Order: sequence, then structure tokens, then C-alpha cells
Amino acid sequence: MVKITIDNQIVEAEPSSTILDAANKVGIYIPTLCYHESLSPSGSCRLCVVEIATNGKSELTAACTYPVEEGLQVETNSEKIMKARKLVIELLLAQRPHSNRIQELARKLGIEKPSFTLAEKECILCGLCVRACHEIVGADAISFIAQGLNRDVDESFVKHSEIKCIGCDSCAYVCPTEAITVEDVGDTRTLTMPSGKIEFKLKKCKICGSYWAPEKQLEYIAKQSNVAPETFDVCLNCRD
Amino acid sequence: MNRVIFSSWAGKVVDNRGLDTEKYTNVEGLALPLEYNGHRIRAFMSWNGIVVTDDGVNIIDVAYSYLKEVQKLCCGECTVGYAGIKVMLDIMAKILNGAGTESDIELLQWLGIGIKENAKCFFCTTAVTPILDTIDYYKEEYLKLITDKKAVPKATYKVRVSAPCMEVCPAHQDIPGYIELLRNRRYAEALEVIRETNCLPGVTGRACVAFCEANCVRGDIDSPIAIRALKRVPADYEVTSSLEPKLEKMKDNGTKVAVIGAGPAGLACSYKLALMGYKVTIYDEQSSAGGMALAGIPSYRLPREVISREVEVIQRAGVELKLNTKVGRDVTLNSLHNEGFKAIFIATGAHLGRELGIKVEDDGLIDGVRLLHAVNMGKKIGAKGRVVIIGGGNVAIDCARSCLRLGFKDVTIIYRRSRAEMPGRKEEIEEAEKEGVKIHFLAAPVKILTHDGKVTGIECIAMELGEPDASGRKRPAPIPSSEFVVETELVLSAIGEKPDLSFLTEVDQIEITDDGNIKVEPDSYQTSQAGVFSGGDCVTGPATLIEAIATGNRAARSIGQYLRLGKTVKPEEDVMADLVHNISLSGQRGESIIAKSMRYPPEHLSITDRVKNFTEVEKVLTAETAIKEAKRCLRCYRVILLAIN
Repeated sequence: MVKITIDNQIVEAEPSSTILDAANKVGIYIPTLCYHESLSPSGSCRLCVVEIATNGKSELTAACTYPVEEGLQVETNSEKIMKARKLVIELLLAQRPHSNRIQELARKLGIEKPSFTLAEKECILCGLCVRACHEIVGADAISFIAQGLNRDVDESFVKHSEIKCIGCDSCAYVCPTEAITVEDVGDTRTLTMPSGKIEFKLKKCKICGSYWAPEKQLEYIAKQSNVAPETFDVCLNCRD
Repeated sequence: MNRVIFSSWAGKVVDNRGLDTEKYTNVEGLALPLEYNGHRIRAFMSWNGIVVTDDGVNIIDVAYSYLKEVQKLCCGECTVGYAGIKVMLDIMAKILNGAGTESDIELLQWLGIGIKENAKCFFCTTAVTPILDTIDYYKEEYLKLITDKKAVPKATYKVRVSAPCMEVCPAHQDIPGYIELLRNRRYAEALEVIRETNCLPGVTGRACVAFCEANCVRGDIDSPIAIRALKRVPADYEVTSSLEPKLEKMKDNGTKVAVIGAGPAGLACSYKLALMGYKVTIYDEQSSAGGMALAGIPSYRLPREVISREVEVIQRAGVELKLNTKVGRDVTLNSLHNEGFKAIFIATGAHLGRELGIKVEDDGLIDGVRLLHAVNMGKKIGAKGRVVIIGGGNVAIDCARSCLRLGFKDVTIIYRRSRAEMPGRKEEIEEAEKEGVKIHFLAAPVKILTHDGKVTGIECIAMELGEPDASGRKRPAPIPSSEFVVETELVLSAIGEKPDLSFLTEVDQIEITDDGNIKVEPDSYQTSQAGVFSGGDCVTGPATLIEAIATGNRAARSIGQYLRLGKTVKPEEDVMADLVHNISLSGQRGESIIAKSMRYPPEHLSITDRVKNFTEVEKVLTAETAIKEAKRCLRCYRVILLAIN
């Protein structure tokens, strides 16, 4: 175990863990947006910024990506941090003012409205969807493209023929700004992304008759786990 | 820059505003260029601060234009970089349009600090520094614009982007750019970026000396990014996935250019010219293309099919290849002219071994380059007994490792300086030693010993190091009476190569330097004959793959200028490149704390699996490892902006 100090409190942390892991373990609150415990951290949103001191220098860094090291001194709510966090949340709020998640985080940081304006956009480029699609699903249907102002999540499959997407909805599940949403109506699942909509046919359960999962997703799982496709003729609820 | 009115360069502030010129404080040690192509540089803005030499420059317009360029390079991966710069630009545009308010300045500063302290990578954290300087030192200019409420006319500026890694690369490859694409698994686009400056990604991804890695900022923190190994990833991916390389070619213009030599310089020049629409024919005396990459680099470092594949891509760009054709024997410069070639590029390399200059009593001394040629071109070599290689460069190491694979029992390198001065690539030296090559440092050959007409050994003398010589390395001097004998059956000399220019005759009128290289005009690569250009090892003497590629690229631009304008004018791109090259891009104000993470090097074949054959030693990084390694890149891009007019 590695001993670090967070806000004057000595915390024992796993050697390969991050400042955020260590803080979470002892219940010290650090706001996060682009972090998900099941995914690798990316340090994109910069909301989890903390102040660390090593060799007499004090700097800001993202708690979700910085690994713990013996003797590390961490502060989570200095004035410098609050100023930096306030900027981050204002930038997020200006881009996506109607997101519940962002509004809630802003409230916690005492921000009602940003001190500047920015063109509103649905996606704040946190990358949770891209990471979920790669790390959890393994489909790699979406990825980041370009840089600077043109940086975007490439969902071109919505319009083009090459579709690696299996309609599993993991991206919609992790999306913090409702930029990606999913809706099942009858035998159709509609995945709505900033660039358009894509539909998937749902599979009907042989026993209860409910439409329970996209056919493409079930084919994918069958192939990945080497089970007979017929396994999925029956929904999870109707199995023994 | 003696007449500096204001400088915040490297954090040292000199403010001469409002003073008489004779009272100006000089800026000590400001190693920045004064002029751009004969024009005075009026203001200079980059990651390390601002320098102003002319009061008439509107520094806020300079800052705005600079930040616009910064925005193009921002990875867009973090909120503060992506959205923060957007807001900053909006505010600055507002002020420049005469619509700003006083509170905008405070807002701008808060955004700048927020980016400086909290952006994800080094690029934005350092790039905003000069903007913050304008707020700190030119606040009255902002206030003036705000009270005047008048729009400022937009000026134009000269811009170049570089990075510590890019700048030391002779070809100035956009390294952070393709690493960024790799990190996002966009292999085809990464390869497009690489091919803009380097037409041999698979070759250099294996055998480049990687000057970039030695200058990687990450090297000061933990270990440099494995740039060379990363470059190989998309190159191999294209082959294994049978992807078509994307080649953007201009319309054919019908003008014919001849290139002599299908080595890296000739290939690079041909590729560039072909994409520019020229009809290029390469002549090479060998039966396959590749030049020194083929004949000089052993296949355990660079498999033959990698070279042939990349040559094929260059052919696909429209380049015609005439092999087994020796200039001077089958064609001449004159006959090429008569065939309608409007320009000729000579890139015949440096294939002759330099003579050792010691007493040779027998033919037991072989030129190391010739041995490599023979092995690499597939000739059978009878190997038995022991071998001694004289020299400490990459050719010496390649000879040693090749000899081991050929079956020599005992392979020893003799080098006259110590390990620290050895010019061969460090990794190669280490691998050679792991494989069993012995290195005898601080020893120089005196004479080769024979018995009954057979080599029995080499007499050497121990050396010690004195003062540094012209190359900056310590000069070795013999220690009197320290002679000793190393027993061996063969001696290879690998102390450097020189061009073989015997194909040129008096009629060609190509001037040769005292060193025996082709003489060229440095900015245009034109030889003493109009329309005849030259580059690569035959101009520089033995150099590296990437230096040859870089000169090939530049010569192509120059040949293009010559063919379009009828004269050689240094291309603007190269003017700016050379100007920036004189600026040290390392170091930045206020170092950030970066979590240490060591590099992920590629895997190697085990020693036992490799020493008896010529199978490639280094493996390609796996996709997942490559992404992890790519994520270590700090993106130390520098935007350099000059106000000239």
C-alpha cells in the first residue's frame, strides 16, 4: 500500500490506483464528469482537478489520471482548484446548458450561469461513449476524429453503409449529456446521435413475445462467446 | 534583435517602451532571428513569450492571429483547451472589433490561466503563455481598443508549427500529429500525415536513427516516446490489412525529370515530384530499388519486402523505375538531356568504403560496406573462424551482427574512442553485445599480421582521449608502447564511406568538393550545372536515411520551382523552416508536473532465435500497446508567428 495525504488526511491506496480512487475510498468528494468506474480514465473534462505538491512545486492535475505515489500531498479544494473548476463547469454549462448532469454539477460548485456564451452543442467530447464502445463492447463503432475546432465523435456510420455498431446502447448509457439517446418502440430500437438516427431490429422472445434485444447485438454476443445463436431465441427473463 | 522594444522571452522581461533608443536595455542571450528573407521581424510570438521590435505592431491582433493557429492544433480532447480557446478567441475578436468591455480583460486572463494550469497536454498549457503576457504587459493596449471602440484592421503573419521532436527530424515530420491519430486508432490518416514528409514509413519505422527520440521532452521526465516504433504501426497495418495507400496527385504536366539512384534520397525526390505532376524516371544500376537502405541495412533490421512494398507505392504514384541501368555506362547526363529530361537529380549515395591507411600485407582486409552489400544482395558468404571489425558507426555494428549470423565464431569490434563517443545507434550497440559481439574500446589498428599468406591477427595500439576535435568528440591519441595483438582470420574495415563519382566525366562539368562529394548550392540543391540537382549521401557524405529523405523532399520542391520559374528560388516553406531551425524549441516557462510512465518498447526475438539467421529482430507494437505509448505523447507543438509587414 502507498500512503498519501489528501486534505491533511493520510490515506492508504493501492499502488496502481489514482488520486481519485484513493479519495473515493475514504469518501472525499471530487467532482467528475468524464470518469466512469468501469472505463479507463481519460482526463478530458478537467473537472476532477486537484492540487499536488512534489519537490516543493505545487501544480494542478486531473485526479482521475494521476497515479498515487508514496508521500504525495493532495489538496482537493484550494482556491486555485475552485477557480479552475469554476471555469471548467462554466465552459461545460455554456455548451450544454440543458443537461441535468451538468446543471447538477454546476449547482454543487455554486454556478448558476456562465460568464460567457458559447455555441450550444449536444456533445461535450468527454469520450465516455468511445471508451465504452471500445473497452466494454469491443465493437469500435465510434471514434474521435480531427483536432481543434473540428474535433468530433465520428458516427459517420449513421449515414454510411459500414456499420460496426450493434445497437447495444452502451454509448447512450454512459453519455452524461443525453447527446446519444436510445428508444425501443415495438420491434425497433432507435439510437439517436448528434449526426443522425440509426434503427435496429429487435428480437422477439419465443416464450413471452417481448422484443428484448437488438438482433445484431445478439448475433455479436453469440459470435464473441461461441454460443449457438438459438440460445437467444428466449429472453433472459424466460430462462430457467 | 538588438533594437528590442519589449521582450518576455523565456520569462525574462525587458521593457524599453517609452525610452530613447540609446537608453535601451539589451536583451541578453536572445537567440532569435532578426530577419525573414531580408525583412525585419517586427514582432515574434511563440510558446516562450513575445518579442517586439516595432511600436507600430498591434500586439492584440498578433495575439489573436497566433491563438487562431493554436486552435487548429489543439487536440480538442479536454474541455479547457477545446472550449476555453474558443471563448478566448471570441472575446479577443470582440475587443478587436471595437466592442469589448473592461471586464473582458479579466475574463480573458481567467480563461488563459485556466488553460495554462489545467489543460490536459503540454500544447495548450504552454501555447497560451504569450497571450497571458499580452494581458500582463500590454493591458493599456487592450484598454485603448476598448475605449476607442474602433475595429482594428487585420494584418497577415508568417506562421510555422514545430515541436522539439519535429525540429531535430531532418524531414520535420509532424510527429505529434500522427501520434495523435494513432492514439485514436486512425491508422490510414496517420500514414497520410507521415507520407507528406516521409515516403518510407515502414523503412524508417524500423531503421531510422530517430533524432526525434533524443530530443523528446518526455525524455527529461521518464523516457522518450517510442516514436520510431510507433511509426511502424500504421505502415505494417496498411500491409496486413491490404489497404490502398491514399495518394493525392496533381494533374500530370508532362515535364520529364530523371533521377539517378533509387536510394532514399532519389525515392523521396521522385515521389514528391510525381505527386506534383512530373513524369519521373529513376535509373539505378542494381537489380532492385532501395539504394543503401537495401544494400547497407541488413534484413534482420529491415526485411527486403518492406523496402519493395514502399518502392511499389512510389511507383503507384507514377514513378518509372529503370533498374540494371548504370549512369556512365548505359546512359549519360547528356543522353538524358537529349531524351527530353528537363531536370536531373543525382542521388547515387556513398557506397565506397574509406581506406584504413594501415599496412596491409595481404588481402585479408575487406571493405565492410562491400561485405554488407554482398550479404544484403543475397550472395553466399563462406564464414568460418574469427572476424575483427574496425570502426564504431552503424556500418561497423551492422557488419558485426551480420557476421555473427553468417556463422563467424568470434566477432570483435575495435574502436579507437570510448563507448560514449561511439557514433552507432545506442540500441544497436546494446543488441550487438547481447548477441555476443565483443567491443574493444580505445584501440586502433596498426597492421594486419599474416602467416603463410593467411591473416592470423591484427596488431593494435591502445588509445587515450584528449581534447575534443572538430566533431566535438574527444580526440584519441596512441599510448606509446601499448601495442597488442588480436588473433583473427578476417579483418573488416568500416570507418566510413564516400561517394563513387566515377560515372561523372569532364563533359558533365559537375563540380566536386575537396571531400569528394558533389558540390551543390545549399538552398536549391542545384549543382554547378543548371538543371542538374543533387542530394543525399553523394552530397553530404555518409548520413542517415531520414537526412536523405529530407533532402530528397527539399530538392523536389526546388526542382519544381526551377521547372516552373526557370530559376531556383528558395521555396518559402524552406525559408521559414530554416528560420525556425535556429530557435531552440526545448524548455518552457513553468514546467508542469507529469505523472511518470515508462515507455512501452517493442518486443524482440530471443537471442537464441535470432543469432543464426537474418529474421527480423524487432516486432511491431501491438495495437493496444501502441495506443498506450501514443497516449504518453505530451504534444509539445510550438506555434511560431512572425509579424513582417
